[in-house]
Amino acid sequence: MTTLRSSVLRLLCWAIGIGFVLYVPFVLNTRTVFGYRVGNMVLLNLGLAQVDLMLISIIGAVSLNFLTGCAGLISVGHAAFFAVGAMAAAAAGQQLGLPFAATLIAATIAGAIAGVIAGLPSLRVRGLYFVLSTLALHFIVVFCFAEYQYAFHDVAGVTMGDATIMGFELDNNVKWYFFLLPFVVLVCVMLQSTLGLREGRAVLAMRDNELAAAASGIDVRMLRLKVFAFSSAIASLAGALQAYYFTSVSAEIYTLDTAIQFIAMIIVGGMGSIRGGIAGAVVWLLLPSVLVGTTVELKVLPGGVAQFLVGHQPQMVNLTFGVLVAVLLITAPGGLAGLARSFAARGSRQGSGV
Amino acid sequence: MLMQFLASGFMLGSVYGLVALGFAAIYKATRVFNFAQGMLMATGAYLAVTGSVVLGLPLVGTIAFVVVAAGTLGVVIQWLLIRPLAGRPLLAMVMITIALSIILRALIVIIFGGGAQTLRLGLPEGSFVLGSVRISAIHATAAGVSWLCMALFMVFFRFSKAGLLMRATADSHEAAVLSGVNVNRINATAWALGTILAAIGGVFLGQLQVASVELENIGLLALPAVVIGGLQSIPGAIIGGLLVGLIEQLSSGYISPKARDIFVYVPLLIILLVRPWGLFGERELGRV
Repeated sequence: MTTLRSSVLRLLCWAIGIGFVLYVPFVLNTRTVFGYRVGNMVLLNLGLAQVDLMLISIIGAVSLNFLTGCAGLISVGHAAFFAVGAMAAAAAGQQLGLPFAATLIAATIAGAIAGVIAGLPSLRVRGLYFVLSTLALHFIVVFCFAEYQYAFHDVAGVTMGDATIMGFELDNNVKWYFFLLPFVVLVCVMLQSTLGLREGRAVLAMRDNELAAAASGIDVRMLRLKVFAFSSAIASLAGALQAYYFTSVSAEIYTLDTAIQFIAMIIVGGMGSIRGGIAGAVVWLLLPSVLVGTTVELKVLPGGVAQFLVGHQPQMVNLTFGVLVAVLLITAPGGLAGLARSFAARGSRQGSGV
Repeated sequence: MLMQFLASGFMLGSVYGLVALGFAAIYKATRVFNFAQGMLMATGAYLAVTGSVVLGLPLVGTIAFVVVAAGTLGVVIQWLLIRPLAGRPLLAMVMITIALSIILRALIVIIFGGGAQTLRLGLPEGSFVLGSVRISAIHATAAGVSWLCMALFMVFFRFSKAGLLMRATADSHEAAVLSGVNVNRINATAWALGTILAAIGGVFLGQLQVASVELENIGLLALPAVVIGGLQSIPGAIIGGLLVGLIEQLSSGYISPKARDIFVYVPLLIILLVRPWGLFGERELGRV
């Protein structure tokens, strides 16, 4: 009985979740729920553009979490892979004249190749030194991007072609949402199922104890390159999508801060799980709007303070996020996903006790 | 022209060496790879702005203020962020310093605004000609003070009791604890010293350019400097700093200012691949 009830419950949760995900873009676009107008406050001050960017961030965060959380390779090169993807897509689209879908594939392949090259130092150095090699990689890639931009494009940025797939142009946020959503789902499902395969379990074993993994017959060096190629291919795909979404990207947006924000996302969300990557990206998106929205709309704070918060919005967001990362690191190394898991465990223990 | 670039590279490199030395002091004593070193340097420049512009202190007062405030900041950071994480894996340690730099940057922009601040401390200005090289007085002062600080640090590290304890802790954490060394206090001292050295470097770079949060990117050059020199080596950090300064001046002089990053980070990558323990470091043996 109980198993039937719980499976029905689970099915219901899934249905509600899917319905919510499918309905959200229309709510945010028209600012109405089933025909009723709702205030900004109810919608947490969100716009659909932010949600679209979040979807792209989720792809980036999840792929980084696979690399860092699951394989134990810390990388500050994720912004660089975004840049590789954007560069490859622009080169394939503008210089070679390939269609949109083909440029995405080109970006993915370029990302995989760049990942193998970037992973080469991992054959030789570990831990800290590997972090530094990705740091060097970041600056080298951004330099190449700038050179490419100045050579073939405008100083203002690399212009991307129209994102048109089979005659269907992605020209508004709702279309983008439904275009990006399958990518997110696909990437998450793919990574999740990879973790269950032999290769995925080998990755986890390598993270936990490299010597033991090698002794069990895992080719650790090859595996590391594969993981790097896999993760960077996904990141490059996200980078290409982001570039098309922005319609024009310049070298300046690929800063070290961007790479660091991805690391912050997986720390906040929780290392080593797909859920953690998603949670981190969602928090990163929601935080600014919620922070500013609440202070402005509630007006509980004296006028000066609210004014101050609005005036310093990006800094307040960074400050909150930095503090959040520090607090979570010290008190909850598992991130939000870890916290949720421990709450769930406590809940079920109490339930079975009664 | 070459002599000019070499001279300015040497003087700029001295300041980098100072920042890198602060970095190496923290790494050697506490094994924390401080990604916030660049931001600590920028913080130093803003502390100088606070001292000279906001508080209206004279030159000596400003310097004293910067040193005391930076030292306090270092101790607070160690106490608040680093100590709770003792014994945790590398990523946590790296991330906490990154979080620190995010927090510091946000605080600076909230307090001082995002724009750059001019920093005038009343140091000697103008320039003099030495042979075929024109040297600005501020550059010369910066290099001179940097070398003085580095010398002071070396003397402290080599001959004082605290320096001895610090070396002992760096050598073997457990053995130091067993011998009754207050390792927490040593670590706090290392953080205070590292922050002070970064802050002094920041004061000079703020003078040479302007005080802005973008100084962080220059401060980050301490990372390749330290690694090229050798993570374990204190003189290596200084020489790495000098090398980075020279590379920067030569590449921006002969090629373009944008080429700086590539000429600093490509050698870093090569060093990592060929000689990960750096030019002057000792080879670390992996433990099973």
